[in-house]
Amino acid sequence: MAELFRQVRLLDPVSDSDRVADVLVADGMIQQVEAQIADLLEDVEICDRPNLILAPGLVDLYSHSGEPGYESRETLDSLMQSALAGGFTRLALLPDTDPAIDNPAGVERMRSLLRHAGPIPQVDFWGALTTQVKGEQMTELAELAAAGAIGFADGRPLQNWALVRRLLEYCQPLGKPIAFSCCDRQLAGNGVVREGLESMQLGLPGSPAIAETIALAALLECVETISTPVHIMRVSTARSVELIRAAKSRGLPITASTTWMHLLLNTSDVQSYDPSLRLEPPLGNSPDQAALVQGLEEGVLDAIAIDHTPYTYEEKTVSFAEAPPGAIGLELALPLLWQKFVETGNWEGRSLWRYLSTNPALCLGQTPANLQPGQVAELTLFDPQHRWQITPQALKSLSTNTPWLGQEVTGRILRTYPGR
Amino acid sequence: MSFSAVTSLLQTLSTSDEVPLMSTTTWTRRHIISLADFTTEEYDTVLRTAASFREVLSRRTKKVPTLQGQVVANLFFEPSTRTRSSFELAAKRLSADTLNFTPGSSSLTKGETILDTAKTYLAMGTDLMVIRHREAGVPQAIATEMDRLNSNVGVLNAGDGQHEHPSQALLDLFTICSALDPDYPSFSLLEGKKVAIVGDILHSRVARSNIWSLTASGAEVHLAGPPTLLPKLFEQYTASRDRQPPTSHSPSLIPHPYPGKLFLHWDLDPALEDADFVMTLRLQKERMTQHLLPSLREYHQQFGVTSDRLKLCKPNVKVLHPGPTNRGVEISSELMDDPKISLIPQQVTSGVAVRMALLYLMGSGKA
Repeated sequence: MAELFRQVRLLDPVSDSDRVADVLVADGMIQQVEAQIADLLEDVEICDRPNLILAPGLVDLYSHSGEPGYESRETLDSLMQSALAGGFTRLALLPDTDPAIDNPAGVERMRSLLRHAGPIPQVDFWGALTTQVKGEQMTELAELAAAGAIGFADGRPLQNWALVRRLLEYCQPLGKPIAFSCCDRQLAGNGVVREGLESMQLGLPGSPAIAETIALAALLECVETISTPVHIMRVSTARSVELIRAAKSRGLPITASTTWMHLLLNTSDVQSYDPSLRLEPPLGNSPDQAALVQGLEEGVLDAIAIDHTPYTYEEKTVSFAEAPPGAIGLELALPLLWQKFVETGNWEGRSLWRYLSTNPALCLGQTPANLQPGQVAELTLFDPQHRWQITPQALKSLSTNTPWLGQEVTGRILRTYPGR
Repeated sequence: MSFSAVTSLLQTLSTSDEVPLMSTTTWTRRHIISLADFTTEEYDTVLRTAASFREVLSRRTKKVPTLQGQVVANLFFEPSTRTRSSFELAAKRLSADTLNFTPGSSSLTKGETILDTAKTYLAMGTDLMVIRHREAGVPQAIATEMDRLNSNVGVLNAGDGQHEHPSQALLDLFTICSALDPDYPSFSLLEGKKVAIVGDILHSRVARSNIWSLTASGAEVHLAGPPTLLPKLFEQYTASRDRQPPTSHSPSLIPHPYPGKLFLHWDLDPALEDADFVMTLRLQKERMTQHLLPSLREYHQQFGVTSDRLKLCKPNVKVLHPGPTNRGVEISSELMDDPKISLIPQQVTSGVAVRMALLYLMGSGKA
């Protein structure tokens, strides 16, 4: 079947272009991209709605699956539907399922669970750095690499620097991305929001920024000495952005990401005490948020991750401090980021796409999708004007732990072409 | 409060010889969660209403039918004896029916969420919910849910984590103002007075609520404690409120809405110097294991309030404590029992009158 998109706005960060053209997609490939394509075949479905955006599919650096272990939060099926509904054509899932993805059989198990009838995004798996992601014993990393893990991450901060050092040494020949989340648990204590004036007014235990930056500085010292490339996940403080900027300017082999929630919100939004705003790391204070935005604009931070973390209503309907950290995001990130940064004129549309598609793929060591004729049609069709309400029924995710639940949002993915 | 509600209170109280101190002020606040945005008028209304109820409590028959037929639910997710008893007695003195929820006897252990619990009490016809929880934000979350359900239930925060304890701060305010003028305990009496708040400010919901109310009154508020329990950021605690410009057309003619000042000391003496009132706070023993303090002994030495140290204060200084006290830690035993200095028994007595006032103001529109 062929589809012709008439006068659609094409955003392609790979060729750094933003233009209006006709696009012909057939047999899962981009066949033609022209200013105007004459009607050629009789069997062509024509889409000529105005103001639509056609762009490469989004790539998520790290998110959590409920299945196996926590199927009431999210099954792999609901996760796939949620990803497609949010415009994602590639996902890299964290290994903290139950059982964890900490051996080759774990990778194989996930693959077999995903053998699915319909088209789904390309799903990859972060292999655990440590057994049962407990941060204690190194996993069989070479075996995991051979089994096809996209890279290595526990998805939670390691506390043992001797282990971090050895992991960096051992992983060097494996040539896979290694992702670390930085937090010193002792310094973080029982903190549930970023320490500052707001945390004091809210009466919520604060986690100081140095809980993140001391661990980050230590990690950067390890990378400086060992030279194994690492990805820094969930950067959340202004000082972290400074440390990463300095490290990159010294030529350290690092990439870094923050999450979409940390770009959109800060501690002052916690006034509602909505448990969906309890994240790990916690939302930054207002200067942190501003520094993260600037960090992306300047290339200090490479990508925006979704860190989709589903929890059931029962798990999240507790006090803020007792709530498990995390929020869903696959279906909401693009429209809300587009509203906040593109509609306001702060970012070009293709910049947002670079942070959500091209750069995450590069961080994962993948070739990013692009819009050139002859390429696989790994695409997403976005209507930035479409208004909809975020209700449990409207979401494909089984969980609804998001602070935007019930609100109206502008911008929706009309269709995602996984390209496989 | 509507005019008819005031009239009915006046009628209720008219068996007395004295005319109660009531006005026709409108009370529009449905929930009392925090004192951060309380207005001068609201503080005054609470004080005047509490004075009326104090008068009721001094009679032989200490009960009025004001909230007859209304249901007050005490949802104490965190165990409490003093505050719960005080609220329960206040509700009973107003002739309300009271329901007491305690987590031990509840469905929380059976997987019910806090919102389920609140909704159950809503379905029973509860008019007012008095909520305490060991974590900040729960009263706010329940109030939001009640509003979302279009109920007209009022939620009163009886202490949430380290956030706020508005009724405690209001009873402290009433106690202080009554000490200044027993007959007319008005808000303006505090202007220019020096109040020291001493101890573990960081973990204290009582201190947080008191900072809002005392600075709003025009008092000079001096916080004192070691740096680990009194972070420097507390100096800016009220800045967001006080920075708000007056909403009048000619702001220059309007005095600053909150003339009070906030000072921070990592040393007790400058806080006590010429103080009119000293509020001491309970020190949790677990602070020792959290690397916040070396020992109780050193804490008492540095920040314990004793008769000797009170010599720095004004001659007729009064001392308050929200209770329960650690005798010999934050306050010396002999001071606690000194009726010339300690206002601690008055705080407990004021508690019932102030809580009657709050329940009355919140509940009067519902009758």
